Amino acid sequence: MSQDAKQVTIVMIEDDEGHARLIERNIRRAGVNNEILPFTNGTDALQFLFGPDGSGEVQSGQHLLILLDLNLPDMTGIDILQKVKGNPHTKRSPVVVLTTTDDSREIQRCYDLGANVYITKPVNYDSFANAIRQLGLFFAVMQVPETD
Amino acid sequence: MPISSKTLIRSSALFLLIGLGALLGIVMMTLLLFERTQGYFEDVVAAREVRGVVVGLLSRMQDAEIGQRGYLLTGEEAYLLPYEQAITAIPSALTFLEERVADRPEMRAQLELLAPLLTAKLEEVTRTIDLARQGRVDEALAVVETDRGKALMDGVRASLGEMQRLTDLRLNTGVESQRDNAAAVRWVTIIGALVILAVVIGSAWMVTLYAREINAARRYEGQLNIELERRVRERTAELGRANEEVQRFAYIVTHDLRAPLVNIMGFTSELESSLASLQNFVANASIAEDDESFAEVRLAAKEDIPEALEFIRSSTKKMDGLINAILKLSREGRRKLKPEQIDLNAVLEQSAANVQHQVNEADGDVTLEIKVASLVTDRLALEQVFGNLLDNAVKYREPSRPLQIKIAAESVRDGKVLLSIADNGRGIAPQDHERVFELFRRSGSQNQPGEGIGLAHVRTVVRNLGGEITLESEFGQGTTFKISLPRDLRPVLRSYET
Repeated sequence: MSQDAKQVTIVMIEDDEGHARLIERNIRRAGVNNEILPFTNGTDALQFLFGPDGSGEVQSGQHLLILLDLNLPDMTGIDILQKVKGNPHTKRSPVVVLTTTDDSREIQRCYDLGANVYITKPVNYDSFANAIRQLGLFFAVMQVPETD
Repeated sequence: MPISSKTLIRSSALFLLIGLGALLGIVMMTLLLFERTQGYFEDVVAAREVRGVVVGLLSRMQDAEIGQRGYLLTGEEAYLLPYEQAITAIPSALTFLEERVADRPEMRAQLELLAPLLTAKLEEVTRTIDLARQGRVDEALAVVETDRGKALMDGVRASLGEMQRLTDLRLNTGVESQRDNAAAVRWVTIIGALVILAVVIGSAWMVTLYAREINAARRYEGQLNIELERRVRERTAELGRANEEVQRFAYIVTHDLRAPLVNIMGFTSELESSLASLQNFVANASIAEDDESFAEVRLAAKEDIPEALEFIRSSTKKMDGLINAILKLSREGRRKLKPEQIDLNAVLEQSAANVQHQVNEADGDVTLEIKVASLVTDRLALEQVFGNLLDNAVKYREPSRPLQIKIAAESVRDGKVLLSIADNGRGIAPQDHERVFELFRRSGSQNQPGEGIGLAHVRTVVRNLGGEITLESEFGQGTTFKISLPRDLRPVLRSYET
């Protein structure tokens, strides 16, 4: 990300504002300064990702990295994952599923639908913070393709 | 009309008795009538004989007269032959008749009438023949002409005719009786046969009726059974669903509880790091020591805030433990059981070996008495159950006496296996016998670490295995846990699935 780092936008879809804040803080602590766009519900996130017409063309030429919680108030994160990976404009954007669910069937399903990383939020805060920081370090080195 | 089996037996016995009576009646009547027929037959034969002799006697008398007349006419000795034959035959015929009619007054009366007539007639015939032989034919003819001989002969004829009539009468009566008898035999047979037929039809009807009722009852019973099985299946499926629902509920609740807890813990940590800067600032601040408001700030930074944070932290840690416990239980409930053939003795020996070290420290021992070779169940679940129970036995032992643990297994009714684990530990007070199986509930003095999860977990596992766990305990004496498990887990799992 170093060169193009400035261009990558992290889209964080997380209904728990506390979690969102903690995630953001710990990512920042890892030295990632990219823009983070937080969404607390699925509808707003979809609106942003695919534009008012729902085609996804609005994101053309962007570098997006999506952080996704599965338990959302208005829909499940699986729906969003499916739409992101099914849309020609957004399908190459990496999706990191970060959620409390550790059901093995759910994890399988997410990978089947094209999730790039699946992380279960640790309950213990220290581990949680640690995990997020490592995720931030991971973001710092990963390449994010441009959306079509 | 419903027929009870008692009614059937009674009526069958009655029918049988009637049938037997009818048969006996037929046989006896037939024998009796046959006897009588025999009697009549003998009578008829005797009467025939008598009649023959009577007819013969008349014929002899006529022979005698014929001989007399021929001789008197011709003087030829050859004409005397019939006479001579008659003379010899008549006395024996008379004797025969006398014997035969002795018991028949009418015949005897006739015979008594006949005998002097016969004698007189024969005398007359003999006299005339004797006179003729002496050449006194005229005298002989004169005797004949007196007509006495003719009169005697008429009397003989009449008497014999009467006897013949009487005998004929008797013959007729005999034949008549025989015919009546035959008719009686026929009627007795017909009536008896009808009675037997009625009895057979009656009992057959009763049996058919009864069989029909039994069949109806059996059908009804079959339907009841099917209905019952269906309801049991439904109930089992409902229980399975309810159980699943509870597990899902626990799972969701724990996950949803976790999210705010992460926040509390997270922001507590954030607060702590902020507090560190604050404390640093307060420590290095160059503000007058006697500033009252600053003293308050310093107290807050040094004592109040850290204390509050410590309480928050310990509470969230406790809550985290509880949530994890519930999560563990719900995970256990969601784990797919793998039924396999298990050598019970080996599994229990292994479980005992796992706590052997602690048992040795308590100066105790574990004895096994396993009378069940194998059962089909989930190995891991069984190991968890016994691991927990043995841990408890060691943990809650009575320190004043050496620990004794006894594990037993035996087969019981309905395809079940009864496992028991008895210790001589501190025991459980009666009011806590049910409570110890509840989540987060503990009993007795809280001098051992624990969260109150073990027995709740054990009960969940045992129920998942289609079994039940109970305990018997006397406070201060020891505790016995009894676990009943199905010998084969597979049908139980199948019934959960349907």
